[in-house]
Amino acid sequence: MVVKKPKDWNSQKPENTRRFIASGKDGRKKPSGPRLPNTMKKVLDRLNTRSPVDSDGEENEVKIDTEENSESVGNDIYEYEEEVAQEELGKNRRFDSVENLNYELPDDFEDEDIPSDDEDTDDDGDKDDQAKTGFNAESEEDLGRHARMLQGITGMPIEAFEGRKKSKGNMVSVTRPESEFNPSHNVLDGDNQITIQDLLDPLQGKAGYNQLRKRMHHLEKKSVPIQAPLSKPEKEKVERKVAYAISKKEIRKWEPLVKRNREAPTLYFDEDRDLKYSTVGAIASRFEPRTEFEKKMHSLVSDKKVLEAHANDGTRLLELNMISVEDEKERRDRIAKIRNLLSRHEIKQKHIKKIKSKTYHRLLKKDRLKALSAQMEMDPEAANEQARKQEFKRAEERLTLKHKNNSKWAKRILKRGLDAQDEGTRAAISEQLQQHETLTRKINSMKDASSSDDSSDGDDEDSADSEQDAALKLIEDAREKTVKVLEVDDAIPSSGVFSLPFMVRGLKKRREAAIEEAKLALEDYEKLSKQMDDSQEAGNNSIGVSSGRMTFGVVKPQTENNKREQRFHDDSDTGDDIDVKEDGDNGRQYKENIQIGIRNDSILFDEDSHAHKDSIFKSFDSTHEDPDDKATYEVSIFASDSWMKMKDGKKNVNEELSSQKNKVVKSSSHNNHLKELIEESDTESEGQMVDGILSAGPTRPYELPSQAELVRQAFAGDDVEEDFEKDKKEILNEENPEPEKPVFLPGWGEWVDVQKKKGLPSWMLKEHNDAKKKREEALKKRKDACLKHVIISEKVDKKAEKLFTKVLPFPFTSEEAFEQSMRVPLGPEFHPATAINDLIRPEVVKKPGINIKPIKFEEVNPHAKDEDQQDSKQKMTDNKRKRRGGGKVVNKKAK
Amino acid sequence: MRVKVISRSNDEFTRERSQDLQRVFRNFDPNLRPLGKAVEYVRALNAAKLDKIFARPFIGAMDGHLDAISCMAKNPNYLKGIFSGSMDGDIRLWDIASKRTVCQFPGHQGAVRGLTASTDGRILVSCGTDCTVRLWTVPIPTLEEFYSPGKSSEPLAIYTRQNAFRAVDHQWDGEQFATGGAQVDLWNHNRSQPIKSFEWGTDTILSVKFNPGEPNILATSASDRSITIYDLRLSSPVKKVILMTKTNAIAWNPMEPMNLTAANEDTNCYSFDYRKLGEAKNVHKDHVSAVMDIDYSPTGREFVTGSYDRTVRIFPYNGGHSREIYHTKRMQRVFCVKFSCDAGYVISGSDDTNLRVWKAKASEQLGVVLPREKRKHEYDESLKNRYKHIPEVKRIVRHRHLPKLIFKAGRLRREMIEAAKKKDERRKAHSAPGKVVTKPLRLRRTVKEIE
Repeated sequence: MVVKKPKDWNSQKPENTRRFIASGKDGRKKPSGPRLPNTMKKVLDRLNTRSPVDSDGEENEVKIDTEENSESVGNDIYEYEEEVAQEELGKNRRFDSVENLNYELPDDFEDEDIPSDDEDTDDDGDKDDQAKTGFNAESEEDLGRHARMLQGITGMPIEAFEGRKKSKGNMVSVTRPESEFNPSHNVLDGDNQITIQDLLDPLQGKAGYNQLRKRMHHLEKKSVPIQAPLSKPEKEKVERKVAYAISKKEIRKWEPLVKRNREAPTLYFDEDRDLKYSTVGAIASRFEPRTEFEKKMHSLVSDKKVLEAHANDGTRLLELNMISVEDEKERRDRIAKIRNLLSRHEIKQKHIKKIKSKTYHRLLKKDRLKALSAQMEMDPEAANEQARKQEFKRAEERLTLKHKNNSKWAKRILKRGLDAQDEGTRAAISEQLQQHETLTRKINSMKDASSSDDSSDGDDEDSADSEQDAALKLIEDAREKTVKVLEVDDAIPSSGVFSLPFMVRGLKKRREAAIEEAKLALEDYEKLSKQMDDSQEAGNNSIGVSSGRMTFGVVKPQTENNKREQRFHDDSDTGDDIDVKEDGDNGRQYKENIQIGIRNDSILFDEDSHAHKDSIFKSFDSTHEDPDDKATYEVSIFASDSWMKMKDGKKNVNEELSSQKNKVVKSSSHNNHLKELIEESDTESEGQMVDGILSAGPTRPYELPSQAELVRQAFAGDDVEEDFEKDKKEILNEENPEPEKPVFLPGWGEWVDVQKKKGLPSWMLKEHNDAKKKREEALKKRKDACLKHVIISEKVDKKAEKLFTKVLPFPFTSEEAFEQSMRVPLGPEFHPATAINDLIRPEVVKKPGINIKPIKFEEVNPHAKDEDQQDSKQKMTDNKRKRRGGGKVVNKKAK
Repeated sequence: MRVKVISRSNDEFTRERSQDLQRVFRNFDPNLRPLGKAVEYVRALNAAKLDKIFARPFIGAMDGHLDAISCMAKNPNYLKGIFSGSMDGDIRLWDIASKRTVCQFPGHQGAVRGLTASTDGRILVSCGTDCTVRLWTVPIPTLEEFYSPGKSSEPLAIYTRQNAFRAVDHQWDGEQFATGGAQVDLWNHNRSQPIKSFEWGTDTILSVKFNPGEPNILATSASDRSITIYDLRLSSPVKKVILMTKTNAIAWNPMEPMNLTAANEDTNCYSFDYRKLGEAKNVHKDHVSAVMDIDYSPTGREFVTGSYDRTVRIFPYNGGHSREIYHTKRMQRVFCVKFSCDAGYVISGSDDTNLRVWKAKASEQLGVVLPREKRKHEYDESLKNRYKHIPEVKRIVRHRHLPKLIFKAGRLRREMIEAAKKKDERRKAHSAPGKVVTKPLRLRRTVKEIE
């Protein structure tokens, strides 16, 4: 009897099926294994068998169950049949026989009514009701089935039908119409809850009901179990988590704005400030008087009458301004009196000024001086003051030489000549000079005290005389010295080189020559002094004298030369050795003479007053300064030559003679040249002289060596390459020093023979080798390792080190980038004014005194960057305009 | 044939006024000036030296309080005004320009611990250990103000609660303010009861700060070493980070609403990103004692800190070390610092009952700066900035004279850190690779992140 069909009932409404837990409790051995579920069985049961009815539904059900079990043991195909255990069969009595193996419930046992969790409570209630109402089981069963059928058809909960059935029993009068707001009695009874169905029912037939019902149906079908509420801390935690997520998302809106600000080269915070009182009127309107004076003024100004008068046409102002006649009269009188006094004083002064009488003025001056002197006597203060004034005047005079005919007027008069002037002018000039004298006198007197020399600081007119005196004195000195030289007897050295006979002879000769020369000089001096005296007698203090001196200086050597030339000619005639020697001596003498002459001249030049600056003089001066030096030099060469020749003696007289002739020619030319020099200081003559020297050269045969030979000869001593290598080695050693050789400390281990034999420990050697290797590598790495002729020092320059950073600074990633950042200078010398502002703009531009508000949100397009850069200038000007316009621009920045 | 002649128009060389500068025409060919770099290096060096010469940061001290200054508040609407509260319950309004008290607000029975002013500068809120919150009207600054000192004002309202308050802060552009004490309370000007209270944990709130850019976000620090963030839009706390040491004060960057910096007890300041609170973005270290207060410059590019080591320092917002240190012999423990609203000045309040005004840039020229002068300053500044990495310039720019105590303490700290680092390295070297992991400081100091 396999029936499969009626399953659909229960499958449709699984929530209404009943499950029984009592099955295990009845104590009988339950067949285990796959079997039909109870519900299905029950249905099968219901369809097929009529079981005895019991009042207790539950008991009844259990019975059904058991019956069913017992019945269907044999033939239920879904039933697994277990065989009876061996021991129970009692085939081999290995175990004791037990009466009852399983625990069996006693017959009178009543099952407790324990509601299971799964059981619907309303079902229980149902059953109670059923018990109370006392319906028989049969009808109950019938009704139940009917209800289930109805439910199956309509899809409504079973209670709906049952309730209707039950309401038959107890009637309740309903006063109000039944609706969702006034639930029916049975709903309120407690055994039934308001279901959605209840609420839906009254809506039946209305618009949208179907839709609503369908949705409810759908909901019921797909309903999900609701979890139990969380504990409070847990709940809060979840809330916070969500809140953080939201809040975080919210704050992300600032990101583009912040990014833009951070990347901006400059932030601007200088919006236009609102100066509250911008006009003078506005400020003045808020003025309040504080001091007494201000208050008084204010009370007058803000007098009501005055204000009123101002407000009207102003005629009343005149009335207010009324002054009494007496007051006005008094004021006028006072002013008149003061004016009168003033004018009188003025007139008096004018009158005094107009008086031309000199006597009057002199008297006046005298009076004044008298008063002054009296005052000086009276109090020392005034005296001091006077003295200081006087001193000041003197100092002024000394500095400016105001009264020394330096004024334009005085110069003009002097130019015209004093004699041409009238008496008064002359007197005035003399007076001026007098004044100068008086003003400078005190200084003179002071000088007198310090130095005893009288002649040096005489008057202007005496100066020329004094100068001549000085010259005389100098000549005197010179004469004295020469006399001394003559008198002194040179002791002939008794030992050394100079004691050799020929040396002694030589010295003697030299001495003689010197004496001769000295005599000559003495003659000169005498002549000079005579001339000097003559000039003094003549009394000419200016140009004439100077020219005389000039010519003297030049004329003298000329005469000398003439003399000498004559002598030369004589010498060449005689052709004697001695004469040659004499000639040499003459040469020396000549040189010295020139020197002396020049010296004398120079002394004279020094002595001469400043009036002696003539062109000739100047030319001489210049020759004296440089070319003359050369001249003397040449002369000295010449002299020494002759000296050498003299030394050579008689060896090659002929040669000497020829050369002597040359030299004579040369010397004569030289003399000529000297004359020229003295007269016009020609440079060409110098060239001639050089030629003269060179002409002496070609007498010896000479061949020019080849270039290579020359070089070899020049650098015969030094090997450059080797030197360089040595230098390089030195530098290398300095920069990479060679490691020290491993040694023991002296005395350490030396007494042990073994150790000595063993030598140094291996670690020392190893260390040494390592150091050596390191050095070699370092040398190899050097930049000049492969360059033979180059030394590149790798020494660190301390001064240059200051200009380099030791490590790459933080934001930079490469050296190039860092250097690039410093490449272009910023200054105004390197850029035009238009470009420089962009270069030196600070990171934050703000104005003092302007409140900066916190950031305000604005939409920023993060992708508009390129555009920004393109028209950055445009934007900046825009911004500026906006700011100037006073719009609400907060923290705008240019990009 | 073309003949080139020098021609100069008269207009180019004529000055409008006699004071005008003569025009100079230059050839800007770089080949003509090969020594530009050397010249600029020397100029940078000179600029750095000049900076040192003109560094006179201290402007003046404002004395008047009878006890240590515990808190300050700036008037966001009025540059010259600053409020200060002291430990004896005195509140004063100062005029910075004349360095005088403009007005006093008497009433607090205990120490004033928090001060803040509304954005329009009309209302001052104070709170203190006497468990009261007081609202005051701020006198409107006028010209006459200078001649009537010693004015005192009555409180607009007094709200008493059960617990002492430690901090108060006002919302930017809003009507709300928050107090911190046993819990965080959110108040409205017009209500006598807090409109909202937040409690997360049982520890005392030490500081409260509204985010000026995002006025609905609020950060607090508490004595459980935590920093907590609240979002008023969602009316709930959002996140809590626990550091290794207590945070004394917090400041939000006014130009970057996601960033905040915490002044910590362990001498450092930690910058956090609101989006990633687990790690500090930057550690600003230089102080040698606990950092007591912090305030951002309105430009958001730097912030000032006051420390228990008697110094005030100015840090760049993204730099690890301070760019400036201010100290005087008389300045004691600094309890509060503020950056002025124009970012030009720094005001510090310290234990010695004085408020001190400093320049934010020590060598800045005060007063009217002519355009040429300004350009020169800018040029010098950019030169210094360019050559700041060159050793000589760097040395001069960095050099600061420090009080001996602070110098020694700093050296000691450095030595200790160095020793710890060395030890760590050794430990690492002697253990299996990968076993000992050293976290960077910015990660190490955060203990936990609580959701």
